[in-house]
Amino acid sequence: MLKFKKTSYIPVQGKEPQVPEGLWIKCDGCGELLYKEDVKQNHYICYKCGKYFRITTRKRLRMVADKGSYEKWDEGLTNENPLDYPDYPEKITALKERLGIDEAVTCGKCTIHGEEAVVCVCDGRFLMGSMGYVVGEKIARAVERATELKLPVIIFTCSGGARMQEGMVSLMQMAKTSAALKRHSNAGLLYISVLTDPTTGGVTASFAMLGDIILAEPGALVGFAGPRVIEQTIRQKLPEGFQRAEFLLEHGLIDGIVEREDLKETLAKLIVMHRQVDVKEALIPNRRKERVQETRKRREQVTAWERVQRARDQERPNAMDYIQEIFTDFMELHGDRHFSDDGAVVGGIAYFDGCPVTVIGQQKGRTTKENITRNFGMPSPEGYRKALRLMEQAEKFHRPIICFVDTPGAFCGMEAEERGQGEAIARNLFEMSDLTVPVLSIVIGEGGSGGALALAVGNEVWMMENATYTILSPEGFASILWKDSSKAPLAAEQMRVTAAELKELGIIERIIREPEPANVQNTGKLAAHMAEEIRRFLHKYLALDGETLAQLRYERFRKM
Amino acid sequence: MFQKILIANRGEIAVRIIRACREMGILSVAVYSEADKEALHTQLADEAVCIGPAQSAESYLNMERIMSAAIATKAQAIHPGFGFLSENEHFADMCVKSGIAFIGPSGELINKMGNKSQARATMMEAGIPVVPGTKEPVYEAERGLQIADDMGYPVMIKASSGGGGKGMRIAESHEEFENHFHLAQQESVNSFGDDTMYIEKYIEKPRHIEIQILADKYGNTLWLGERDCSVQRRHQKMLEESPCAVIDDQLRQRMGETAVRAAKAVHYENAGTIEFLLDKDKNFYFMEMNTRIQVEHPVTEMVTGIDLVKQQIRIAAGEKLKIHQEDIQLKGHAIECRINAENPEKNFMPCPGTIEDLHFPGGNGVRIESALYNGYTIPAYYDSMVAKVIVHGEDRMDAIRKMRSALGEVVVDGIITNLDFQYEILNHPVFLSGDVNTHFIPDYFEK
Repeated sequence: MLKFKKTSYIPVQGKEPQVPEGLWIKCDGCGELLYKEDVKQNHYICYKCGKYFRITTRKRLRMVADKGSYEKWDEGLTNENPLDYPDYPEKITALKERLGIDEAVTCGKCTIHGEEAVVCVCDGRFLMGSMGYVVGEKIARAVERATELKLPVIIFTCSGGARMQEGMVSLMQMAKTSAALKRHSNAGLLYISVLTDPTTGGVTASFAMLGDIILAEPGALVGFAGPRVIEQTIRQKLPEGFQRAEFLLEHGLIDGIVEREDLKETLAKLIVMHRQVDVKEALIPNRRKERVQETRKRREQVTAWERVQRARDQERPNAMDYIQEIFTDFMELHGDRHFSDDGAVVGGIAYFDGCPVTVIGQQKGRTTKENITRNFGMPSPEGYRKALRLMEQAEKFHRPIICFVDTPGAFCGMEAEERGQGEAIARNLFEMSDLTVPVLSIVIGEGGSGGALALAVGNEVWMMENATYTILSPEGFASILWKDSSKAPLAAEQMRVTAAELKELGIIERIIREPEPANVQNTGKLAAHMAEEIRRFLHKYLALDGETLAQLRYERFRKM
Repeated sequence: MFQKILIANRGEIAVRIIRACREMGILSVAVYSEADKEALHTQLADEAVCIGPAQSAESYLNMERIMSAAIATKAQAIHPGFGFLSENEHFADMCVKSGIAFIGPSGELINKMGNKSQARATMMEAGIPVVPGTKEPVYEAERGLQIADDMGYPVMIKASSGGGGKGMRIAESHEEFENHFHLAQQESVNSFGDDTMYIEKYIEKPRHIEIQILADKYGNTLWLGERDCSVQRRHQKMLEESPCAVIDDQLRQRMGETAVRAAKAVHYENAGTIEFLLDKDKNFYFMEMNTRIQVEHPVTEMVTGIDLVKQQIRIAAGEKLKIHQEDIQLKGHAIECRINAENPEKNFMPCPGTIEDLHFPGGNGVRIESALYNGYTIPAYYDSMVAKVIVHGEDRMDAIRKMRSALGEVVVDGIITNLDFQYEILNHPVFLSGDVNTHFIPDYFEK
């Protein structure tokens, strides 16, 4: 250190700078000082650490609804104070006045990028957004009116749960709101719930988790029991990130996490995608005459074992490669809503031409890291359950289903057995058999046994020229029947696993030829050809009614 | 007047500002990063606040931390120095809204002059000469040729998305134009996938001349002579002098008045610099305006005898300028050499390190601006400039001799510097002749 004679005797007598109130705020996530104006510009997200701040109803509506389009419904309902809880009515009155909102929820109708929807917003500042009679009643009425008007419902949840001050009357609101949503759903209408920080208790256990699509804001705390209650009960500290949106996504409980920046866009897109379209208008007319390709068939001498190798080749385009090429606006949806989000199965909604379709695929990875996430394309029970959930939604919204099959087989592991791998596969066969929408399955690589069949109960099943569809792996076949797995090449011939042989056997309807080697570089060409065939399939099957579709599918398997 | 100022900067400029404050009876608050705990500015200020880790983004560019330091120490004003947040309009606004004076122009002005195309448009409107060029994008050689013919050769053909010399060609004549246009356009398409071109008058071997401006909030706007900053390497200035060897009183007057007009056109306040290109026929064109104090401000201080930093503080405090244009007389000749911790032999690679032995010259007309001291370790995170040597002589030759003598006395052991390189410049016949333009270093030292 230097030793300076810093002799400044300067008395500070002037005025201290007056920092205006509210100009600066402190982030409760990272502790940094933030310039409020910048936070506002950043959609009320900390620009230092990314923490999402809770926002008021007015700000939420400004973020989502088209300007001036929001029409409030059912304002001014009053509650009875069923427990005669002291000071409760006074508290409500004071809060109404202070916050300028009607109750802990605001309900009404608006447009989102021009799309009409019923939008309800919970406000955490009003008695923790808790649900008493008025909240339950407003939501039930809004949902009922949406059912009448055939409108989608979007609810932004933010609540501590049922309102203690109203006792059992509050608890009943859970059943009431759920019942209203059930009718709305039965009418074939879309409900999107957006979980914001915090959503717990009776709200989580009712309308929050009932969305056809459930989205959450990053970092939002969502759970049934609050973290403090859990910690006190089990006398353990909860891990970092427990019950946060990211945790929910990983555990298959929500479809996705959406940033505020993309919120409005995403909601509008989802509304449009769930609308039934006129198929004739949506689909591009068939351009080619059928079977032109078939006549130009080229003869290539390839052994069955070589085809097995090709089907397994890491360079082969995988489900996502085809999805990205063939469809537009693919929006991936996650989770089985029970346990986990299986990386080995991807699924979501996309457009084919102008027609919304549900797309599901078994997904392999290319790198080791990807393969760990994708579990080498071997689905767990939750993967099949996710697929089924998406298929049932497709049925509700009259979307055709296109499955890409590519798996060595369903995952063989203790965990898979614990969670009922067999049941999950069986359930898919059972439910897929009478879906009232067209189902197409395309084996793009390995069609490994029951694990493949669980996505292949289709109206038609196709195979790529070098795909295989097997009862088990040739290695397994050789080892069981001949006690020598090295005889796999021989087994491959014996088993009749190739597309051509399976077409002969009547197991599949069509072979998608591979005029170019199937690798990533040629994905575009292969996909273009596949798209033509899919278009033809949709033209044919979308013309049929649901009952016929189910009947045809029944007969298809009945005769095997 | 302020009683306490926070200096949102480091290095020699922070030291320079702290000294001005002390002379004016104002308390100084330094802010420093974890790497600057031992830095001179940290030790010299009356108070010092650590604002974060070494990386600039976490400390000297972290507006929120600097603001909280200012609020906590009850500073009434913030001096941003140069670099870092000095031309950040958002920061300037933030200060003002928080009730703390920003020593510099308003955020609005910073924005107005910082946006190059907007500044150019504003200047054209005010009748300030700018480098002639097209506003309209040109896609075809034919149209380009028309424009170039009207403008007169040589012209520069520039890709709209261009950068790093790509998609840039100089056409010397009508005959050459078409070929060069196609070449430049092709290059742009290949590199940027964009065929949008602009045609601009090419200024051959221009000098970089800038005029120092002072303006108070009452509309008094003064010009304080020029600085010739033509000695530069890759747009980094190395040596600056005032006055310029080839500018006569008449031209100086014209340039000064034009600069004042430019500043008045935007109602400029505080210290600023108008940069011009001066071509070989003594035509000058507005290039840009710097809305801050500059590294080379001491040469102007030496020839005018006016302390620019003190003036900045007074203007920010709302005082009226006490000097008038007629009071400003340029006396003698001043030169500044920037001493950088860099190795000219290794492509001027920065060479931070620990100062083992340090001696700076003194004497009549020699001034040192530096944050170095014996045993100081230069952190690797920041700019490599470690000192400025400024001399003031009777005339240009006297100043050059003084600078040679002064540089000869400088001892900075422990690190590699560009001292020898500066010495070579000072002995170069072309430099001595005064015939220096912005191609001087590339032409004579890098070939």
